[in-house]
Amino acid sequence: MDHINFEVKKGEVFGFLGPNGAGKTTTIRMLTGISIPTEGTATIMGCDIQSESVEAKEQMGIVPDVSNVYNELSAWDNLIFTGKLYDMPKAYREKRAEELLRMFGLFERCKEKVQGFSRGMKRRICIAMALMNRSHILFLDEPTSGLDVQSVLVIRDLIRKLNQQGLTVFLTTHNIEEASQMCDHVAIINHGKIAVIDTPERLKRTVENLQSVEVAFETASPNMLEELKEFPTVSDAVKEGDKFRLITKDPTSVLTSIWNYAQKNNLKLITVNTLGPSLEDVFVKLTGIKLATEEERNNRMKTQEAPRRIAKQ
Amino acid sequence: MSNVHSSHYGREIRVAWAIAVKDMRTYYTKPPSLMFGILFPFSLFLSFSIGRNIPLATQIPILISQTLFFASSSIGPVVIPMERANQTFDRFLTSPVSLFSILLGKTLAGIIYGAGVSVIPVLVGIAFFSSQIVNIGALIACFALSSLAFSALGIMFASIPGQTPGQVMMPLNFVRIPLLFISGVFTPIGELPTWMQAVSMFSPLTHTVELARYASGADAFFGPVLNITILSAYAAAFLFMGIRFHIMNQRKE
Repeated sequence: MDHINFEVKKGEVFGFLGPNGAGKTTTIRMLTGISIPTEGTATIMGCDIQSESVEAKEQMGIVPDVSNVYNELSAWDNLIFTGKLYDMPKAYREKRAEELLRMFGLFERCKEKVQGFSRGMKRRICIAMALMNRSHILFLDEPTSGLDVQSVLVIRDLIRKLNQQGLTVFLTTHNIEEASQMCDHVAIINHGKIAVIDTPERLKRTVENLQSVEVAFETASPNMLEELKEFPTVSDAVKEGDKFRLITKDPTSVLTSIWNYAQKNNLKLITVNTLGPSLEDVFVKLTGIKLATEEERNNRMKTQEAPRRIAKQ
Repeated sequence: MSNVHSSHYGREIRVAWAIAVKDMRTYYTKPPSLMFGILFPFSLFLSFSIGRNIPLATQIPILISQTLFFASSSIGPVVIPMERANQTFDRFLTSPVSLFSILLGKTLAGIIYGAGVSVIPVLVGIAFFSSQIVNIGALIACFALSSLAFSALGIMFASIPGQTPGQVMMPLNFVRIPLLFISGVFTPIGELPTWMQAVSMFSPLTHTVELARYASGADAFFGPVLNITILSAYAAAFLFMGIRFHIMNQRKE
């Protein structure tokens, strides 16, 4: 990390967005006391993370990028053990564990060992463990990474509800849509430095010239992309699946060009949409890096896990 | 925020105990714990004693010392790398408790494991081989101080940043195995050359063997007072160095 400086306001969802290796997890590890920084300070609710680490840690809950639950213990025992780490009295920790397990839809299976649970369920247990001590700030490191769509929606909904109840959320994510939807402020980090901090909408306004038109034809010829790039006012065009995305300052003129092009070539239009600049455009502009899609990340994870599976056999 | 109205030290001790209990439940029956903590010292002892005409009074203290040495020092190097690999060790670092209490909890788990396993040869010796314990105080001191010192030794080595028990066990065994040869395990201290007697005084295992022998009625070469003093010093030194090394690791990250 290279001299980063930022403030998270009480009650907000603060997003930390950056490519792999940018320093997102390192920042969380330093803020939560797992790593010790070589210089600099950090305060959590007014408590210095190094000189008042116990007080600072009492304020926070942490959900790391890997669901670090105790697989040999049940969901119930995982929560109870967390309560013991916070020295919560027995009756209080049992009441809180039951409350959280019911809230997260896990109470019915709370006596089962966690090792048989799905990734999504383990993630929910992880979040429940982070909330055992009624923390004021919740650190979430890529909370939805590698999860199925249903689990992602459940977890995002939970985060929203918790934030509405007053919990401050510090969220790192590679998912720009997630950051755009959920965060009050976003910091874009690259090579250990913060490139920009602002609200998602204000960040999008910085790249207003990056409006685009998305179009899909029933059939596409191999040289279609090059032809679309030749349209007036189109600065660039990319093929995204079965669609073409044309970057322009003047979407109206591009719509006319598309209509004429379709008529001239006897093409049937499937969809045409005008799109405003996205947080991804801001991200690409600032970092020069296009983030991997969820599918690409999942494929990468599967490839990385493969040797382990072979070793176990 | 948690409803905490208790003293700082009371809280630290309760958390340390909770960590120890969790480790007992979770890791005592893991294959590396059984292999390095039980199988290793017992098979080493059998390979040394079978077919040799060694009096029983000599054999039982050796087995007690070896099990205390290997079992106590094995839990930390098994538990901590495994917890690093699945990031559960980070849970302790992010909880409102000092690093000393975390490592004390881990040390306690090693003490209980080592002492628990080492009770077996004592009971077997008394029940089946007419082995005698003539000084119970020396035996208690041997168990308490040795398991503490060796468990802290294991925790200190577990600061080596590995994610599998083998990554810690290998360097630990580079220390543990040579100690067997200079600590009066295979050859009584009195029969060693003078220079080796001097070297053996610096091995913590020497003082475990001596105390175990003293408890069963044999003569002690260095004497129980020196044994207790040196074991206590090693326990404190290993605990202190373990904490320092773990902090260094946190800084390196």
